Amino acid sequence: MSAATTTAPSPSEAPPLRPRGPFRRSLNRRYVITAYLFLLPAFAFFGLMFYLPIGNVIANSFNTGPQADVYAGLENYRRALDDSAVHNSFTVTVVFGAATTIGAIVLGLGLAMVLNQRLRGRVVFRAMLLVPYLTSVAIIGLLWRNILDPQLGILNRVLSDLGLPTQTWLNTHPLATIIAVTLWMNVGYTMVLFLAGLQGIPEEFYEAATVDGAGPWQRFWRITLPLLTPTTLFVSVMAVISGLQAFGQAYIITGGGPADRTDLYIFHVFNVAFTSRDFGYASALSFLLFLVIVLFTVVQLRLGRRGEVQY
Amino acid sequence: MAGLAAPWLSSCAGAPEDDASTGASGGSGGGGGGDLTVYWNAGHAYAAYDKVIAEFQEEHGVTVNMQKYQWDDLRTRLLSDLASGNPPDLVEESGGWVQEFATTGDALSLQEYVDADGEEMGFPEDWQPKTISRNSYEGEVYGIQLHLTCTMLLYNRAMLDAAGVEVPTTWDDFLDAATRLTGDGVYGFALNQDRSYSWPWLLQNGVRYYDPDGGDLLVPRDKAIEALQFQADLVHRHQVAPVPTPGTDYSGPQKLLSAGRAAMILTGPWDLAPIQQTSPDLNLGVAPALANDVQATVQAGTSVFIPRKAKNPDLAWDFIKRITALDVEKAATEEAGMLMPRLSWAEDPVVQENERYAAFAEGFAYAVDYTEDLRLTGKSGEINEQLYNTLYQDVVMNNTPAETAVDTFVTEARKVLDA
Repeated sequence: MSAATTTAPSPSEAPPLRPRGPFRRSLNRRYVITAYLFLLPAFAFFGLMFYLPIGNVIANSFNTGPQADVYAGLENYRRALDDSAVHNSFTVTVVFGAATTIGAIVLGLGLAMVLNQRLRGRVVFRAMLLVPYLTSVAIIGLLWRNILDPQLGILNRVLSDLGLPTQTWLNTHPLATIIAVTLWMNVGYTMVLFLAGLQGIPEEFYEAATVDGAGPWQRFWRITLPLLTPTTLFVSVMAVISGLQAFGQAYIITGGGPADRTDLYIFHVFNVAFTSRDFGYASALSFLLFLVIVLFTVVQLRLGRRGEVQY
Repeated sequence: MAGLAAPWLSSCAGAPEDDASTGASGGSGGGGGGDLTVYWNAGHAYAAYDKVIAEFQEEHGVTVNMQKYQWDDLRTRLLSDLASGNPPDLVEESGGWVQEFATTGDALSLQEYVDADGEEMGFPEDWQPKTISRNSYEGEVYGIQLHLTCTMLLYNRAMLDAAGVEVPTTWDDFLDAATRLTGDGVYGFALNQDRSYSWPWLLQNGVRYYDPDGGDLLVPRDKAIEALQFQADLVHRHQVAPVPTPGTDYSGPQKLLSAGRAAMILTGPWDLAPIQQTSPDLNLGVAPALANDVQATVQAGTSVFIPRKAKNPDLAWDFIKRITALDVEKAATEEAGMLMPRLSWAEDPVVQENERYAAFAEGFAYAVDYTEDLRLTGKSGEINEQLYNTLYQDVVMNNTPAETAVDTFVTEARKVLDA
């Protein structure tokens, strides 16, 4: 007894209690049930608000008619491949998505680099740049629509007062204009993300590189950019998704015009659904975009992860 | 995800199949507590209607839930509700929806109500005849015209007087006037970015949107091309009008006229109140529509209809009767300058003694419901609101030759009609 007592391990060394047999199974079941009960609201929310609608859209995409209740097989998908309006809106959207993604990365990183310096008032600048992102796209759209109005807008008034020629921005360069407005709106957010990434890079790397004779450009290309790869990947994935799903800019600012030059894909889908009342076709177009977004995201993640480095 | 959301609204499961409220007085939805849900245009919330609503609520013991939207949002909401089987009790529509929803079985036939109460309310005898056909389908009435409007030439009288320009009556006169009025930061004319404002020109050139016999669009084609090119030339060749800005707002020309930056615009009575409010000193004239081959303009205006699955159709019908009464029409005209469909309204001193209202009312004689034939094909949404919109903007904003743009439009529209 005493020997047993003396050789017994101290409580800290004792192996963890592992219930065995039926008791263990019962405990596991209780853990599992409890876990699922906690997860149930999330499952219910996502199931009801995301997966059920997605399933419904996929089912609808094989139907036609004003109520989307007439089976049409693959006709909607065949039609999409032959629809010049869809091709146009897809092209417009890809250009829009690419420009807003590249612009968001370049401008966001540039601003983050500037505002990562010890400048007076940098906190105020950071906050000011973030304000447009916190504002509704509807308000941004109306604001810029009024600013850009060729006859009564303030921008042309300023140009005119300066003796410069006035412009009809929304007629001559409509897509570039809504790209610029989108960048103005979103760049503050990407700046904040890059700022967080920059502040996560240890100062010692720069000091070591400087000691080794690296200049500012070399430090940027060899240290900053590679170590920001995860941030850049996140920004690019999010920007591509939001670019391909953009809607408000066309709906509020240009109405898709002039002559479909800003007919963003989702705006086109919206019109197919709610103007032409062709919900089956709109569902097929939506599902095709879903596949495109999944494809873009997978490719980006694969390419991005290949470029990740660690020092 | 967002892309998947819009069409899903169409498919909200569980739309009841057998709760269609049919029948006239004595049918379902007789009132006695609850709500009467009404979808209304946000710009038509007149005090004259508030008075009707208050009386209606008191008499029936119900609450009228007036939900006000801009047209595009109203349509989006309505289609979602129709798909989910939970539509409002009454809808104000922007023109053309009644027949659209009648053909799809979403609108309730009002024929039994009309048979029972028509004589008492003066329907259809006291309504402008054109407003009956545009709200009927297969011989039955599905909607009642609420407002009746048309597009006329509004002008700044002081500007025309200062330039010694007579009010134009033909296209040639008009171009001459616009040319003489242009200068010093003022345009002689301002085109609207909205495609529907292009139609007075096409109608004046004798163009039909759709010929149901031949199945052709924009006939005669050369006349349609001429009318569209004339509008583009005002902007790009003669430079007597600014290039319209694309968008969804149709108040651009009104703002230019109010600001003294345009001397003439084409618009309807809905712009009278904004002009009066923003520029009370502007000496505004309303001229009859121009003539080229014929004198013509666009007939517009809103109607009200009851969705087939409305929960309170009887109450909704009673609301229609009250809100279309002659006294209410006159009060709305005096309040907001809106024009009305009753013949007795057009003859009333309220209208006849007002130069502007009278000018619009005279236009009813030659105003045309230009989309009626196209609407009955069930393809009006895609052809008129998408393809024609592209055509108009391509010609007037992008300065694409009208002949090229019309060819593209007709090719695409035929595909839609044949589908």
